[in-house]
Amino acid sequence: MATVQTPMEPCGMVRPKSWDDKVEEAYRFQLAGYRDEREYAHLTQANVERWPHNGYIKKLIRKDGCWYYFNKTRECSEKDVSKCKLYSYSQDK
Amino acid sequence: MSNTLFERKAYGSNKCKGKKESTDAFTIKSYSKNAKEKLGGPSLAGAFKTREGKPTSFRKFYERGDFPIALEHDTKGNKIAWKVEIEKLDYHHYLPLFYDGLCETAHPYEFFSRQGVHDMLEHGGSKILPVIPQLIIPIKNALNQRNPKVMCTTLKVLQHLVVSADMVGEALVPYYRQILPILNIFKNQNLNSGDGIDYSQQKRENIGDLIQETLEAFERHGGEDAFINIKYMVPTYESCMLN
Repeated sequence: MATVQTPMEPCGMVRPKSWDDKVEEAYRFQLAGYRDEREYAHLTQANVERWPHNGYIKKLIRKDGCWYYFNKTRECSEKDVSKCKLYSYSQDK
Repeated sequence: MSNTLFERKAYGSNKCKGKKESTDAFTIKSYSKNAKEKLGGPSLAGAFKTREGKPTSFRKFYERGDFPIALEHDTKGNKIAWKVEIEKLDYHHYLPLFYDGLCETAHPYEFFSRQGVHDMLEHGGSKILPVIPQLIIPIKNALNQRNPKVMCTTLKVLQHLVVSADMVGEALVPYYRQILPILNIFKNQNLNSGDGIDYSQQKRENIGDLIQETLEAFERHGGEDAFINIKYMVPTYESCMLN
């Protein structure tokens, strides 16, 4: 049986209360117009380029083909933390 | 309020019209033997006065749509969407142009030039070093405007520039003569508010502090000749590494 290539729909979403690396990751993807890495990988078929020293996302291509470049350090400010969405998938549980 | 005849005779008609009684020093009038008026000080040299900048080529290129950036005016805020990967850009062409835009104070030119410079420095790596000589004139022009906002941006950009790649700090040393005179003028521009709160410190808009930080960054990354060259142009600067 062939494996299904479509991304799994998330089964849950939480709003973060405080900043951490996961929130930073979600912030960068969502700024570029994607839900998370799964959706990015599915739609662009591209690997995410990351900063070597801390693994933060370096650049992302948007759905319209433009590029967003991100800093080496934290970009998600305190006021943006609660705007981020952390998705969970049934497979993760 | 009208003056009496006595007042007008006693203090002269100049007083009535609100004119100054003294003559400017070093004028022909002040040298004449018959000069009865008091000699005033020379007029201000205007070292701290903001100067009007010329229209920049950044503005021209931006309005012509020559930059590989998507012009968005949405609420997303502080990001530029690049149409081309920065790594593929011709730094010799674009980086000096973005630097030229540092003189701008109006939106959106100011934002795009500041953010463009930031992105290009952050992701330029080894492509930045060969362009340094072309960046000096735009930096000098921006500092020469003596506009507090433009100076703040330029100083922050200079701090970013010296750490952007290897050897950039050293490459800037020969150009201290162009960059540092303005920093020397404004180095002491710090507010003495006693124990009051100076909010510009929190917002990183205090020019005196920014200049000190910039000079320290120059010294740290400029190699062994950096300090003596800084000291030559800014005599009040004390080393942050030797002491």
